[in-house]
Amino acid sequence: MKKITDLIKERRVYFDGGTGTVLQSMGLPAGQAPELWNITEPDRIISLHNMYFDAGANIVKTNTFGVNRAKFENYRELIEAGISCARKAAEGRKDAYVAFDMGPTGQLLEPLGPLKFEEAVSIFADNIKAAAGKGADLVLIETMNDSYETKAAVLAAKENCDLPVFVTNVYDSTGKLMTGADPEAMIAMLEGLRVDAIGMNCSLGPDIMLPIVSRFKKYSSLPVIVNPNAGLPEVKDGKTVFNIDAEAFSDYMVRIAEEGGMILGGCCGTNPEYISKVVSKTASMPYEMPEKKNYTCVSSYTHAVFIDKQPVLIGERINPTGKSKLKAALRNDDLNYILNEGIRQTDAGVHILDVNVGLPEIDEAAMLVKCVCALQGVTDLPLQLDSTNFDAMEKAMRVYNGKPLVNSVNGTGESMSHVFPLVQKYGGGIIALTIDEAGIPETSEGRAAIAQRIIDRAAEYGIEKKDIIVDPLALTVSSNPESAVITLEAVKKIRELGVKTSLGISNISFGLPQREIITSTFYANALQSGLNCAIMNPFSQAMMQVYYAFRALYMLDSGCTDYIAFASAEGAAAPVSSAPAETTLHSSIVKGLKDIAVIHTSELLKNTAPLEIINDHIIPALNEIGSAFEQKKAYLPQLLMSADAASAAFEEVKKHIPLEQSDSSKAIVLATVKGDIHDIGKNIVKVLMESYGFTVYDLGRDVPPERIVECAVEHSCKLVGLSALMTTTVPSMAETIKLLNETDPSIKVMVGGAVLNQEYADMIGADFYGADAMDSVRYAEGFYKN
Amino acid sequence: MYYTDVGLITANADEIEINPRELALRLGTDREYDNETLELCRKRLMGVLSYKCTFIKTAVSFYQEPTLGFSNVILNSKSLWKNLYPCKEAFIIASTAGIGVDRLLSRLKIESLAEYYMTDALASAAIESFMDNACNRISENVSCVPRFSPGYGDLTLKIQPSVLERLNAYTVLGITLDSSLLMTPAKSITAIMGIKDNEKNN
Repeated sequence: MKKITDLIKERRVYFDGGTGTVLQSMGLPAGQAPELWNITEPDRIISLHNMYFDAGANIVKTNTFGVNRAKFENYRELIEAGISCARKAAEGRKDAYVAFDMGPTGQLLEPLGPLKFEEAVSIFADNIKAAAGKGADLVLIETMNDSYETKAAVLAAKENCDLPVFVTNVYDSTGKLMTGADPEAMIAMLEGLRVDAIGMNCSLGPDIMLPIVSRFKKYSSLPVIVNPNAGLPEVKDGKTVFNIDAEAFSDYMVRIAEEGGMILGGCCGTNPEYISKVVSKTASMPYEMPEKKNYTCVSSYTHAVFIDKQPVLIGERINPTGKSKLKAALRNDDLNYILNEGIRQTDAGVHILDVNVGLPEIDEAAMLVKCVCALQGVTDLPLQLDSTNFDAMEKAMRVYNGKPLVNSVNGTGESMSHVFPLVQKYGGGIIALTIDEAGIPETSEGRAAIAQRIIDRAAEYGIEKKDIIVDPLALTVSSNPESAVITLEAVKKIRELGVKTSLGISNISFGLPQREIITSTFYANALQSGLNCAIMNPFSQAMMQVYYAFRALYMLDSGCTDYIAFASAEGAAAPVSSAPAETTLHSSIVKGLKDIAVIHTSELLKNTAPLEIINDHIIPALNEIGSAFEQKKAYLPQLLMSADAASAAFEEVKKHIPLEQSDSSKAIVLATVKGDIHDIGKNIVKVLMESYGFTVYDLGRDVPPERIVECAVEHSCKLVGLSALMTTTVPSMAETIKLLNETDPSIKVMVGGAVLNQEYADMIGADFYGADAMDSVRYAEGFYKN
Repeated sequence: MYYTDVGLITANADEIEINPRELALRLGTDREYDNETLELCRKRLMGVLSYKCTFIKTAVSFYQEPTLGFSNVILNSKSLWKNLYPCKEAFIIASTAGIGVDRLLSRLKIESLAEYYMTDALASAAIESFMDNACNRISENVSCVPRFSPGYGDLTLKIQPSVLERLNAYTVLGITLDSSLLMTPAKSITAIMGIKDNEKNN
């Protein structure tokens, strides 16, 4: 028998339809896992598969959708029995294949859910190991509504068997997965992971899938699978029925086949009758493999960024080179600082974020992984993973949710032999630097020659030209006057090789005064020479002006609408040089006016000592709003807006206090206890504490007692604040207090949260019960005064 | 397991008015409290809300008090007994405001606590408002007792896995549970709503 991947090149093949639908009609009771029938009722499962083969299906899905080690202790046995049933039904039939079916784990992955990425990979890997060699012809990863979990399942399949891998995801009526990915993002990621066929199943009926199929046709180079539900469930006369019958379903499938749907079948609500009609109506329709697409793109967990005619901006700010604050943040594990840089650049309008966390004194691989995961929790932009450490690069590429931009490979044998296998395995666009063992060529021809060598070598790994973006390197004109001219010529020559280009723009002006003038003029020239991507500072007004002006001038901004919006906003947002006369720093904090508080702070800093501003302005203002809140004259949102304003003022002041002089004598460990994910109360306390000058070790939510003790001991911190919102987690709080007391009786523990009161707090041995955030701050202040 | 007898209700963000009483309750303010920041948060939230609800109608069995059963669940709960008795049937409902809200909140947590707190309150009020709307639509021709959720009174969260499974909540709503049986998306609700003896029809 032909391999399924060969058969689909020749003719249209068909999947089966719904499993649950048919099994329920055979008497499977509600609430019982259908997979158990693989062992208890194998004849019925075989008969299910036979019905579908008889209806014209070529591929049946094993009855193993919900099986995994987290749900079934005997998962291996269920998988083996499931494959055996399908195999028996396929026996003696022509063009009859068995797909080992893997559905989602049912748990959401980090950062939004609790399941760790590698744990998900391991769960799927155990399934694949149980299935390998048992008679399946392919692996079908289906009904995935999260791109990240899809990636985990694909990696598990690729790493543990040699079978072809087909993937179908669940798109909703807006054309997105539940966790946000659109078809282009999924195509980019899955093609990068080198699966064999991709598409969609479940959730929608064929009518609503039509526009999604068209997008697959436009962007996918792989065969497209379409397995829809029998429409949407509707309630009729008190009963729920699917709204599309077999006749209508198969008519829609004809249109889907016309739109580019290649491998067709059904999902929930469909039965052999549906498949039979689909086969009879589409079998003689024209059929051809999709054409190879030649666009360049990278993706995040929501969308793809195409690198083509439109200039692409890559934010350069998450890179410690020359940035002492970022260096300090990396050393102190202060992810918030890095996340803020990510959010600010996202808001400033970049399309991709560069992430470089290389510092000699930290574990770069661990930090890069941590930053990539955390950034993907707060921004939906694709990331450019920037490291010269191959181990760090592999780990980051593995956990990245999407198709990353890899920065970088170069023309040295060592670099190519390390980076290309990673891209071959995980997928990615690659920034290719025109440097090799002999250094950076002094001519544009020399740089183009290295680019060509990189392209040729990449091809040996199956990496196509479209995924290579060459950076011919901008070197400072202050030390080499020819530098800009050579680089611009190189951009033109490299574009002729049929690849895209990128430049780290800011380097050009290094060592010169008023760098922005040189940098932005160079950028304009580079764009004119055909540059695609610029690694740049989006907070540079001059750079953004060039970007918008170029697009308007080169017909890349229809009706100049983006330019007009940019220019109008720029005019409107002209920096306010002075705050309204009737306000002060004190009054702006009390009223929660963040921007005005910052202006006042900057003014005061001209002739007032930083600590004086904190003690004489910020703290008294916070005390005033705090008292008003305690006396019920102000609401919590007002207190929080004041805390935001105070934090902004405090940040401004901190710029004038050398880092090593920060006051760390007042410190507190804060955590929401194990089992509880509600952390709003804890976060309110944190911000207030910080605005009062405390060093806060924030351990987050759902924190085990041991971790809290470990942190208090590590930092010799004698004050711990615990929060819980649910009654069920109060025992966990009691356990934490007990462990803290046993470890160091001098540690004081304050507790708070919606379910607590003084009586509870006394019962579990807390030293203090804070009825609200201000109450907690007052206690902490008192603790350190005494 | 995917059940084919599960109903689905969806709504656009602008179809559901966020109940001002629920919002004030969650903000800890009076109903008149409003300012530019709150309005900014409301507008931003509207852009990410994605309301969906699934439900089934099921028989309710009362055994020896406080033991009762419905759908695929048998449990002990005095509070639920009190709420449901003597309804012979009930709707089991799950609804969500979508994962976009969680993403927005993760970002605001870094950016501004005031906006995080306000958005969290708005989103909680929003899902309650949608749930009210969905319950009204589901019970159009019948009369129901107030909805009752796991976590109220002595009704244990332990029934969440069975309830969510029966409602296709993972596949259709994207709701998952962590080891503490808490739901993601965070702004999701499950509930049971007893049907009085079709009073509206009688």
